[in-house]
Amino acid sequence: MPDALTLTDAALKIEALSVAYPSRGGWLQALDNVSLAIPPGGVLGLVGESGSGKSTVVLALLGLLGPAAKITAQRLSYGGHDLLREAPTLRGRRIGVVFQDTTAALNPALTIGSQLVEPMRLHLGTEPRAAWQRGTDLLAELGVPRPAQVMKSYAHQLSGGMKQRVGIATALASEPDLLLLDEPTTALDVTIEAQILSLLDELRVRRNLSMLLVSHNLGIVDRLCDRVSVLYAGRLAESGTTRDVLHRPRHPYTKGLLAALPRPDRPHAGRLAPIPGGLPDLTRPDPGCNFRPRCAFAVDGCEKPQALRGELHEVSCHRVDEIADQEWPVEPAPVATGKTARKPLPLLEAEGLSARFGGGGWLARMLGKSTGVLAVDQVSLSINTGEVVGLVGESGCGKSTLGRLMLRLLPARNGTLNFDGGPVEPEASRDFRRRAQVVFQNSGTSLNPRQTVGMILGRAVRWFDMARGPAVATEVDRLLDLVRLPRAYAARYPHQLSGGEKQRIGIARALASRPDFLVCDEAVSALDVSVQAAVLNLLRDLRDELGVAYLFISHDIGVIAHIADRIAVMYQGTIVEEGPVDDVLHPPYHPYTELLLSSVPLIGRDRREPVAPPATGTPAASEGCKFAARCPRKLGPVCDTLAPPLQQAGPGHAIRCHIPLPELAAVPHWLGSPA
Amino acid sequence: MSLATLPRLRAPSTLVLGGTLLALIVVAAIVGIWVTPYDPTLFAVRFRLQPPSLAHPFGTDEFGRDVLSRILAGAHLSLATGFGAMAISLGVGVPLGLVAAFHRGAVQEVIMRAVDLLIALPPVLLGLLVLAVTPPGLFKTIAAVGLVYVPILVRLTRAVALGLLEEDFVQAARARGEGALPILWHEILPNAWPPIIVECGLRVTFAILLGSALSFLGLGPQPPASEWGLMIAEGRDFLTQAPWVCLAPGLSLCVLLVSVNLVGEGLRERLDPHLQGRGHA
Repeated sequence: MPDALTLTDAALKIEALSVAYPSRGGWLQALDNVSLAIPPGGVLGLVGESGSGKSTVVLALLGLLGPAAKITAQRLSYGGHDLLREAPTLRGRRIGVVFQDTTAALNPALTIGSQLVEPMRLHLGTEPRAAWQRGTDLLAELGVPRPAQVMKSYAHQLSGGMKQRVGIATALASEPDLLLLDEPTTALDVTIEAQILSLLDELRVRRNLSMLLVSHNLGIVDRLCDRVSVLYAGRLAESGTTRDVLHRPRHPYTKGLLAALPRPDRPHAGRLAPIPGGLPDLTRPDPGCNFRPRCAFAVDGCEKPQALRGELHEVSCHRVDEIADQEWPVEPAPVATGKTARKPLPLLEAEGLSARFGGGGWLARMLGKSTGVLAVDQVSLSINTGEVVGLVGESGCGKSTLGRLMLRLLPARNGTLNFDGGPVEPEASRDFRRRAQVVFQNSGTSLNPRQTVGMILGRAVRWFDMARGPAVATEVDRLLDLVRLPRAYAARYPHQLSGGEKQRIGIARALASRPDFLVCDEAVSALDVSVQAAVLNLLRDLRDELGVAYLFISHDIGVIAHIADRIAVMYQGTIVEEGPVDDVLHPPYHPYTELLLSSVPLIGRDRREPVAPPATGTPAASEGCKFAARCPRKLGPVCDTLAPPLQQAGPGHAIRCHIPLPELAAVPHWLGSPA
Repeated sequence: MSLATLPRLRAPSTLVLGGTLLALIVVAAIVGIWVTPYDPTLFAVRFRLQPPSLAHPFGTDEFGRDVLSRILAGAHLSLATGFGAMAISLGVGVPLGLVAAFHRGAVQEVIMRAVDLLIALPPVLLGLLVLAVTPPGLFKTIAAVGLVYVPILVRLTRAVALGLLEEDFVQAARARGEGALPILWHEILPNAWPPIIVECGLRVTFAILLGSALSFLGLGPQPPASEWGLMIAEGRDFLTQAPWVCLAPGLSLCVLLVSVNLVGEGLRERLDPHLQGRGHA
């Protein structure tokens, strides 16, 4: 592991980099005196919330900030080249970049091959035929199956994980020795993410690549990086080895980020510790510590400028020694309003629900030529009063569709739905609509941009006759109190709110009808960790205060483990495992659950390789187990031909698999403490 | 940084300039219905085809009528054609577009195929078709021009509404059990009208032009009405001897079109969310 001494001959050296953009409010100080260094073959992680300036660092290194930006640096050099002047000739040649959005990074109109060949021809002058061959070899090296065929295909014909492999291949095509990775796995499923991370780790060893990994995900930084720098509002808060920074954080901001993280290895960890407030106004940089307004440890003296101090582990906080042993404080729970210890009764019961999508237009349907995809296949799931059921699975597994089926927002092909003892007809009654509500993921589009918060909430209140006339305003105030927002927010428009505040309004709107059941569809997935913690705490408190039951849909098993009482794991339209949180997170696992858990990048887990699914598999036959093609523990033909039985692994814990339970129980505990 | 601190209603300069010009024209048109320097229909054969002078700023036509008076008296016809036709297109096109977006399936197919049929015909031809079968007149012209632009508004409204129907706030309304009308009225329309209004602002120009073209062909208001297109048609024969008879209504039309266009452009700048820089939170 490289230490600070080898940093003197660092490949990439950034000293006192400052970047300012012109904005309507004046100069916006995006980066302020940031120093970083990466030795040859080293991997540096750059972490921070959105808006902290992480991507600005990447763009500054590439010389892509645009003419309006004001850049100053004592030094910005790479292998002896001054990047301030030479970045345009080095980028793409010696510095490769991988972006987050794989779909946007590849040109949809060109074949993969031509995009891969272009950097080689441009930078290395390779002959077309040789370049094509090298491109094919490169794809093979990156674990792309049938590389010759992929070279001739277009971006839309590849899956997300394959596109990201191609993205890495294009970055590597001109043989760079520094790779900038800007949130390279954020858009990918956790199992694919694990594969990409292993690939990057391998490449780094094999090609002696230096990497700068920009990410908000502390788990993947821990998995891949030697050193970590924490960026807050354009300034470095903390810098050091991964082990030091993520395992023994010293700056309050780092402590806060780690305390806010929901972790699957610590289910029911009580309340999370959110960081209050939001990023400071960067047009008026605080000369003192800029984290001061949000810091739990702020005292007099914080208004003085803070320099990075320390040898190997640098921290920009003057109280670093005083607070060394203190944890970030957990937000106190509101005064308990007497949680009604009612006996849990079945509230919502779905029996054999199915949904099919696609299959051409109405003409095709009339002619009986409809094909389509079975998005949800005969799923049964029940939720008790006041219970939180977590529904987890990869994108496209049908979890959102199931959520909408259970609200009768989508027509089900077959199956029944019972609510509070009575059946829910396909045209749901007004009473069901009142008692079952939904919170959406994308806080940006879930609120009508032309209505004020007061109008949005008031409309839901009036629609359900919860209040009339002047009482509506009182009810809106009550809802804002409930989601801990100031009452004055009723006059605001959605664009005047932050992401977390918008999500609170979405929750308040769903609560307007005093429902008994809420579907939270990825309700916290788009939020920063610190904000996500606050919203998760809020949802938890509301459950305790109001006794609302949730179907909590998320791809993040950490979030699910934190909030849920029971977990249902979904794969391609079927629930493969269901049970109480602790049972699902401990062996015996369904092989798919095991794959998910082993793929989650956990801070502090030893770097053992996740369960590797077979690279390719034949598509699942309609009869057998849907997971058979990807299953690392596939028994044999029986998995392809016979529907797996539902095995009872414990009280309320069921696994849908052919493998005998004792064998499933014999696998390692993936969330256990590192050996 | 919050947008609340910025003035939300800063009008673009194009809107101010276009709006001022248009307001002047509208005032002139209203005044011109009753008061003009000379009687716009009074023949004065002694003074026929006089060039512009102090007494007749825009000259006189073949019958010695004062061109300025005629332009003022006819201004309301062009304005009525443009805005009236747009009102008809709006009134017919927007509801049809909303219905087509909300009810996919057979209803949508019927509406959209009918719209495709109308779009396939060139605008002037479609106007001709409507006007040729009945005796011409101002209201017929307005109706014909309005019909021409219905398909464009149906398509635009449907496209905007289709996008909005996918948004989560519409899903939230559905989860409350709201039906088609409340969703369209409360959730879709307030978000759909800016692009529609902008489109209308720009289309008014085309409508005025088409109305004038139809008048030019003799299918609009009949003489002695002083519709500008008709005036151009009448002055055409004297183009080399007395160009002002054609030029004056032509230039008036030009100024009107420019002012309407500026207003449309200004509205686009004001209302287009992409140019507005929303979402600073």
